[in-house]
Amino acid sequence: MPERVIQPYVREELDGRDIGEAVVGDVERRLSVWERVSNIDAVRKLSVLVTLVVAWELYTRISDINELMFPTFSSTGTALYNALVNEGLLINVWNSLSLLLTGYGIGVGIAAMLVVFGVWTRFGSDLLTTLTAMLNPLPAIALLPMAMLWFGLGPAAIVFTLLHSIIWPVALNTHSGFMGVSETQRMVGRNYGLRGLSYIYKILIPAAFPSILTGLRIGWAFAWRTLIAAELVFGGQVADTSGQLGAEGSSAGGLGWIIFQNQMENQTPYVFAGLFAVILVGIIIENGVFRNVEDRTIRRWGMQIG
Amino acid sequence: MTDTTTETHVRPEFVVERLEAARDVDVERRLSLFERISNVNAVRKLTILLGLVVLWEGYTWIGKVEPLLFPSFSASASVLWETLLSGLMLEKVWITVYVLVLGYAAGLFLAAALLTFAVMTRIGSDFLSTMTAMFQPLPAISLLPLAMLWFGLGVPSLVFVTIHSVLWAVALSTHTGFMSVSETLRMVGRNYGLRGIPYVFMILVPAAFAAILTGMKVGWAFAWRTLIGAELVFGAASGEGGLGWMIFERGDNLETPYVFAALFTVIVIGLIVENLIFRNVEIGTVQKWGMQR
Amino acid sequence: MATGSEPAAGTAGTTPAVPAAPVLDVDGVTLQYKTKEHLITATYRVGFQTYPADRFVILGPSGCGKSTLLKGIAGYLHPVEGEMRLKGNAIRDPGPDRCMVFQEFDQLLPWKTVMGNITFALLNGGKCKSQDEAREIAHEYIRKVKLERFEDTYPHMLSGGMKQRVAIARAMSMEPDILLMDEPFAALDALTRRQMQEELLQLWDDTRFTVIFVTHSIEEAVIVGSRILIMSPHPGQVKAELNAHLHTHDDVGGEGFMALQNRIHGMIFADRVLEEETQPQHA
Repeated sequence: MPERVIQPYVREELDGRDIGEAVVGDVERRLSVWERVSNIDAVRKLSVLVTLVVAWELYTRISDINELMFPTFSSTGTALYNALVNEGLLINVWNSLSLLLTGYGIGVGIAAMLVVFGVWTRFGSDLLTTLTAMLNPLPAIALLPMAMLWFGLGPAAIVFTLLHSIIWPVALNTHSGFMGVSETQRMVGRNYGLRGLSYIYKILIPAAFPSILTGLRIGWAFAWRTLIAAELVFGGQVADTSGQLGAEGSSAGGLGWIIFQNQMENQTPYVFAGLFAVILVGIIIENGVFRNVEDRTIRRWGMQIG
Repeated sequence: MTDTTTETHVRPEFVVERLEAARDVDVERRLSLFERISNVNAVRKLTILLGLVVLWEGYTWIGKVEPLLFPSFSASASVLWETLLSGLMLEKVWITVYVLVLGYAAGLFLAAALLTFAVMTRIGSDFLSTMTAMFQPLPAISLLPLAMLWFGLGVPSLVFVTIHSVLWAVALSTHTGFMSVSETLRMVGRNYGLRGIPYVFMILVPAAFAAILTGMKVGWAFAWRTLIGAELVFGAASGEGGLGWMIFERGDNLETPYVFAALFTVIVIGLIVENLIFRNVEIGTVQKWGMQR
Repeated sequence: MATGSEPAAGTAGTTPAVPAAPVLDVDGVTLQYKTKEHLITATYRVGFQTYPADRFVILGPSGCGKSTLLKGIAGYLHPVEGEMRLKGNAIRDPGPDRCMVFQEFDQLLPWKTVMGNITFALLNGGKCKSQDEAREIAHEYIRKVKLERFEDTYPHMLSGGMKQRVAIARAMSMEPDILLMDEPFAALDALTRRQMQEELLQLWDDTRFTVIFVTHSIEEAVIVGSRILIMSPHPGQVKAELNAHLHTHDDVGGEGFMALQNRIHGMIFADRVLEEETQPQHA
């Protein structure tokens, strides 16, 4: 601190001056077409995608890489087209999806019952948290060998494994979401006479919706991965023992099985085509379903995604 | 409120000059020992766990379940103990964990490289978000057939799919974390003269740490699932490996107590990673900083 | 118990004392709650009566159990001793005959619009049977709090003051026997708080509802209240009940106003020299 104390400089007051016209440049101006187009997200991402495809095609053509190791983009595209039109790839997609939906539906139902039980009693809550803590870190696919033992080689074994991959993340997130509902909102609900199930539906579920949606998403991601893995294992199992999977022809089995089978037959472009199909299904569910639900609910309500 | 002309009912004031002391109630009292013990989470959960074990054991004894289909808890536990003593289990654990650590570390490194690129340029950001949008929905395990084609049956294939399962989850979460760092914090950083790499590490990374940690947790979960799955597939396609392979092989030979012992081990590893490692990192960082969502 | 100490502003009001039955009768109520380790007595044998059209303020330093008392009246907590009667009936559970306005902004359901929040209360609280009827009533109350333009807005787009207005409209639309307000303006900035106090008095002038208003600001108590209950802390006990029906915003800083404010200040600080501050802790 300096020793001398500085006094504020008291000046005359200013008031009522006219505001002059702004004369420098435009007050508001549209950006150039180029600037505006390159500000569109989709345009930029699409060009990245196109560049990647071109790079892939050029790389595989110029370096003369073995088609069996790494097919060109064009042959992959042709294979995908062929598989879709001639070989009923859509049936394989449907086989996978129907298993997934069955497992998802039942799994979410069981999770919901567990959570309702967990909301009502402290014992239920403790049981739920203990079970989820134990079983959530266990990859569902590790149960497949036991499931095959219990239910045989078939859809039942896969659905059982899927259930395991869905129930725990959904239950865990929903339960912790319920626990985190603010005391104020709970009191508001009870103030207006809500109790029992209507309290859960009208207060807890919407208030915990961000967590529930996260749980549903994680459940879907785990289930999708487990399903593909299970189909691969099944493929391996069957190729190992009998060489045939239940039914004949490529229209049986799901996407994972198609990938496995084509790889066994060295049809690498078809393996890539299968992978494309897996990606497409993933993107459709992620953006078409979950994104949509998110936009209509928690984004619109201004809730934190968590 | 029916009568809108209601007037306030004015009544005399009063002041209590001397408050009587609250003698016959405790103003504050410790709860009883039982109440306090049953308020401890660990105690209640341990009790539940014990109850479940007893139920399992009782069910297999009384129900006379075929042990090949469903072994009793004691049989599974004794096999677990045996394999731990003989070192067999630890060997399997080591094989799996080795691949996991290798793949996880490589995945994190690649993610960091991609992210640095993405933070620096808009092209990088577009590239990263396009790639993650493509690869995030693709289960890493479905790349295993290709990996086996490219790298053969062995550790490199496993590492490849593990990297794939970690990379996109971490990159996606971190990237969105970076994007949502508040404008104020960014301005604070620039106010104090940070730019380039120091800006990333001193502002962006800590500010987005909650999202980064989430990404790492999701990445770990995917990696663990993918790896166990890949070992199972490997088992099917012959070869040798860690825990996943053990589960598959023993299941195939109907040695179900071994399968359950291996499943226990998988759970324990999962619990260690989630509750010891990640939980402690969380407590030491985002929770301490009060940033937990 | 000694009554007396001459009123600062005089009890000889213009209106004659109406010998009406009290809306709410709190009779020797002791409330306790548990934390993880302790059992805490929040209020000890608290008693008071609230009459129709009272703006009954409960004032006291933090830790005097005033919020706990309000939660007891709302039915979230059960007294271990004593009884609370609403129009003669003992209070057992929460119910829409006592509508609560909280301090926290998240009391509005974020998944419902302004209109939705009010119709939610009307329909679930059993006041309305049909959506149309509920919308009509909601519309009227939204107009009362001057938020017509924001009827279809979700709460996260509203400012703090607007959110509290919606909460007040929601509670008032139920036309409950008694409104319970738990420091509703404590989290607002000073200017908004003052405006909200004025609006609340305006609304009271229109409809003459009965309200219990909890606050820890002496000034707010004198402005808003017609009668002020002063509580002492640890555990909460009734210290005094004073009249403040003659004071509003118009005479803030006036002689009578200041006198009453100083008198309350003296009462609260008299027996606690080193207790914590009573200033609003800003949220």
